[in-house]
Amino acid sequence: MTVKIRFFAQFRELLGSDIITDAPAGTMFTSLITSVARKNPEGYAAIFDKNGAFYEFVILMKNGKRIDIADADKTVIADGDEIAVFPPVAGG
Amino acid sequence: MIAIQTGDVDIGALIAAAKKQGTGAIVVFDGVVRDDEITEMELEAYGDIALQELEKIARDATDQFRLLHVDIIHRIGRLLVGENILIIVVCAGHRPEAYAGSRYIIEEIKKGVPIWKKELTKEGGRWVHGEHMHGKPKTG
Repeated sequence: MTVKIRFFAQFRELLGSDIITDAPAGTMFTSLITSVARKNPEGYAAIFDKNGAFYEFVILMKNGKRIDIADADKTVIADGDEIAVFPPVAGG
Repeated sequence: MIAIQTGDVDIGALIAAAKKQGTGAIVVFDGVVRDDEITEMELEAYGDIALQELEKIARDATDQFRLLHVDIIHRIGRLLVGENILIIVVCAGHRPEAYAGSRYIIEEIKKGVPIWKKELTKEGGRWVHGEHMHGKPKTG
């Protein structure tokens, strides 16, 4: 299946944006982002702590809806999903 | 008008267009690039999602404060010191609703709309830290 991953702000600078990637059916949110982020150690370290868990300030979205970090391990990604990962917002 | 755009807007024209029947008060919020020893500011947004969230904030504010008209224009791209970043025009029958509606909108934007700012300096750049973590004020 094909999934679009979007990083923003400092995460985008480290990992890129609008990443189209193939993933096996049944892939979970956390494992998908882990595998993509591992391509850049600095990017990985910006998002994940030393135990491999999302930092609590990281914001996750699937198809425009926020996903709690606590649920990311069990959130299944489907073909065509748009995933977004970003730092705290600073608009206004 | 609810928009995320690179270009500036004519605030006077927005005010003129906002005067609907029953208007007794218009509050304008204009957030500008502050001179914090920076050369420019660069803003980015999660386009469609940020726009949807601005539209929801405008609807919620309209319902909650009985507003007659709301404009929210958030700019993105590179902006110089003194340029407008965010313009909110709120129109109501009376000033308490207009002030409260305007305040509600700016606080909701800062809380959750996916937009980010990078301050550019002669030495490089630094991302502005958000004031809120997952919709809750930071502590400590």
